Amino acid sequence: MTAVAVIGVGQTNYRRAHKDKSSRELIWEASKMALEDANMDIGGIDAIMAGIAPEALSGEGSVERGGMMGVGKPFLRINTGGVTGSSTVFAGTTYIQSGRAKAVLVVALERMGQATSSQQVFNTIFDPVYEKDFPLTTITMAALRASMLMRMYGYTEQHWAEIAARSFRNACRNPHAHLKLDITADDVLKSPLLAWPIHRYEACPMSEGACAMVLAAEDIVGDRNAAWVQGAASTSDSYAMGDRIRRPEATLVDLLSLRLSAERAFKQAGIDRPLEQIQAVELYSAFSSAEAMAYPALHFCKPEDGPRFVEAQFSDPSLPKINPSGGPQGANPVSATAMVRIAECALQVRGMAGERQVADVDRAVATGQGGATQFSTVCVLGKKKVH
Amino acid sequence: MSESELIEIAGQWNFNYNYFAGESASRFFRELRENQRIMGTRCTKCRRLLVPARAFCDACMERTNEWEAVGPEGTLDTFTIITTQFPGLPKPPIVMAYVTLDGADTALINLVHGLDMSDIDKAARRLNSLPRVRTKFIDEPKGRITDFSFELI
Ligand SMILES: [Zn+2]
Repeated sequence: MTAVAVIGVGQTNYRRAHKDKSSRELIWEASKMALEDANMDIGGIDAIMAGIAPEALSGEGSVERGGMMGVGKPFLRINTGGVTGSSTVFAGTTYIQSGRAKAVLVVALERMGQATSSQQVFNTIFDPVYEKDFPLTTITMAALRASMLMRMYGYTEQHWAEIAARSFRNACRNPHAHLKLDITADDVLKSPLLAWPIHRYEACPMSEGACAMVLAAEDIVGDRNAAWVQGAASTSDSYAMGDRIRRPEATLVDLLSLRLSAERAFKQAGIDRPLEQIQAVELYSAFSSAEAMAYPALHFCKPEDGPRFVEAQFSDPSLPKINPSGGPQGANPVSATAMVRIAECALQVRGMAGERQVADVDRAVATGQGGATQFSTVCVLGKKKVH
Repeated sequence: MSESELIEIAGQWNFNYNYFAGESASRFFRELRENQRIMGTRCTKCRRLLVPARAFCDACMERTNEWEAVGPEGTLDTFTIITTQFPGLPKPPIVMAYVTLDGADTALINLVHGLDMSDIDKAARRLNSLPRVRTKFIDEPKGRITDFSFELI
């Protein structure tokens, strides 16, 4: 199987609304930047994959029409909710590994700025038979988990606030970030309560923007600055959240799908001591509780040691840096967020992350979370090629 | 170009739909309306009693067969208290919780009523103690999941 590398990354800035650009223009802008970073033109691209999640967020049906770039290429549109972006990258990776393409342009667009009530739209993604009559949204779904984590593992509102404040401070060093806030945990706790225990400054912003990457087979990488895909795994879980609440093998807050993805991706990448072998982590953590659920899934600590792991990050410089970009709290262009995690890891590995660059990155790990945690992805990028 | 020079074109998605619940959910809803009871279906493979009732178990990919009533009491598993008004959603404060009804192997979501909400943190502490709850039906059930809610015992 051929090795695959990320050789180009393009990101628009992320913000509440890009009123100066149409959906097509956002896709084009990120894609053009990725091609320029890869020193390629569209003629060198064998296939295009566009990741765009629910259409009601943009109010445009078939919004993937904006992904038409060049002519005569296989084209796929991918939608797996929150992991749309990483699924799109994995589809491109698989195309190359299977020999169907040498170079793939992957792009993900979020256009939710056009929606005047996005939480209302998010309610429509739930089951119309049993769930849609309740105020289930991305925020309340996170809150249901956060309260469970507090009871089971001893997290407090202070932990949620510490995590959020760290992410917002990190975002200050990321020119693409949407919310750059130099705030403390106290500021988070003082912000209005949205859904107990989640405060406004613990929730991710609603962001628009596009992210694109050029993926290439090893024989065309040449002397380009490459981040090698060392491991990539995507797994699903049973649908109903209620079915997983008391599931003995993994409750709702023990992210089975993320753990399985991590175990598979780490094995491919040869990672057996994650805390020592990973220097930077980009978590799909739109809420602090999602970050907490990722620690044990990524084998960073046992679930009950999670609260201590939050504290250790501030005092132990040897631990991997979590969300140096600010993560989804800095910007959450939903359809693109999971691709942005991989793109940020690629920049870290290639030493191109500017002010947010982590020192001596050999490996970086990106996660994705989608649906009601039905979908999880883990992608390991590194300086070295792994077969 | 300045913000005022940028053109915005108004749009609206306001389509009407009828969602087809299917036979299992239809029977579940009829049981709510006619007998004020909450039914589950048992997976023929893992033997879990799945609530609300459904035709198959997605973890096992097997059919369910036996229908069994659960509750009317149960244990609250996890919750949130919605404290902010979101457009298109009901007025806060709203307590929404997953409850495992007695006899069920899975939890189902609904609203919790009758809790003193004057102190949100105190209410949260009470809910976090995994209180026992009972099912309370509305006066004229319509055959919808909103025919009942929970109240603390
Ligand atoms: Zn089963």
